[in-house]
Amino acid sequence: MHDIHIPGSPSTPDIHGDAAAGILAIRGDSYPENSFELFSPVIDWVRAFLAGDDRLLRLDLGLVYLNTSSVKAMMDIFDLLEEAHGRGRPVAVRWTYDPRNGQIAELAEEFREDCTFPFEIVPC
Amino acid sequence: MESPNLLDLRELCTQQRVMLCFNGPISKNLIEEFGTALKNYLDSEQLQASSVIDVFSVYIEMTQNIRHYTVARGYAGADATATVVISHEDDGRYAVMAGNLVEAEDGQRLCATLEGIAALDKEGLKAAYKKRLREPVAEGAVRSGAGLGLYHIARKSSQPLAASLKPQPDGRVFFCLRATV
Repeated sequence: MHDIHIPGSPSTPDIHGDAAAGILAIRGDSYPENSFELFSPVIDWVRAFLAGDDRLLRLDLGLVYLNTSSVKAMMDIFDLLEEAHGRGRPVAVRWTYDPRNGQIAELAEEFREDCTFPFEIVPC
Repeated sequence: MESPNLLDLRELCTQQRVMLCFNGPISKNLIEEFGTALKNYLDSEQLQASSVIDVFSVYIEMTQNIRHYTVARGYAGADATATVVISHEDDGRYAVMAGNLVEAEDGQRLCATLEGIAALDKEGLKAAYKKRLREPVAEGAVRSGAGLGLYHIARKSSQPLAASLKPQPDGRVFFCLRATV
């Protein structure tokens, strides 16, 4: 299982999937014109990781602003986690945000409404 | 041909309390650069971080919608021109407006969607947004866009969205959308 690293830019987040540690970190703003293109390898990576052994996959999110197509891509990732969780696979999300910016907590909360696996939303 | 009267344009902008405006062919880089300028301007107005994101997000959805449309329709040059204005409202809010040329039938379709959106209350909008989020991207639609933008804009706007269609001599229409954030 390979690692994945997509360096961030002003309109795209820094994405780092560490297969050995079982951690996918996504940090920064995400408003690319083509979110499908950006997130497609990330979704593939999550799918491959979850198809492998039964280790924990932890999402470490520091997303700040997402355009709607990035929201859709993140929902696809959460759907994969939810499905894995349903099969008994350990998965968890920790989304940290700046407490001065309540919009992010609201967005994270809307994602969490559709998830039954551990999903922390933490001001920091 | 007479050159545009910059002073008139400037005075009009001042009188309408325009903060930033743009008119020209729109590109990916331009949306980002103009967006950065908008964010910096809002930060300098000591706005709360969450309000900055709301205004910025409405700007991004409007301009990326236009960009996806012009690409899908194969528009170039003057046809791919977007008009974007962000201005101050009296109550401290911002008006975010964007307009572009669309085919007449697309304009009708957009207005029908917006009428559907206008009929929804806050909870209804959230439900419609979430439903839309889970719909597979339609065959033939622009893959990068989820079709969610209008719902997002409506959720962030404190006033009902205002849309207008102005017929153009070539049979197309100028579609204009206004949100208050």
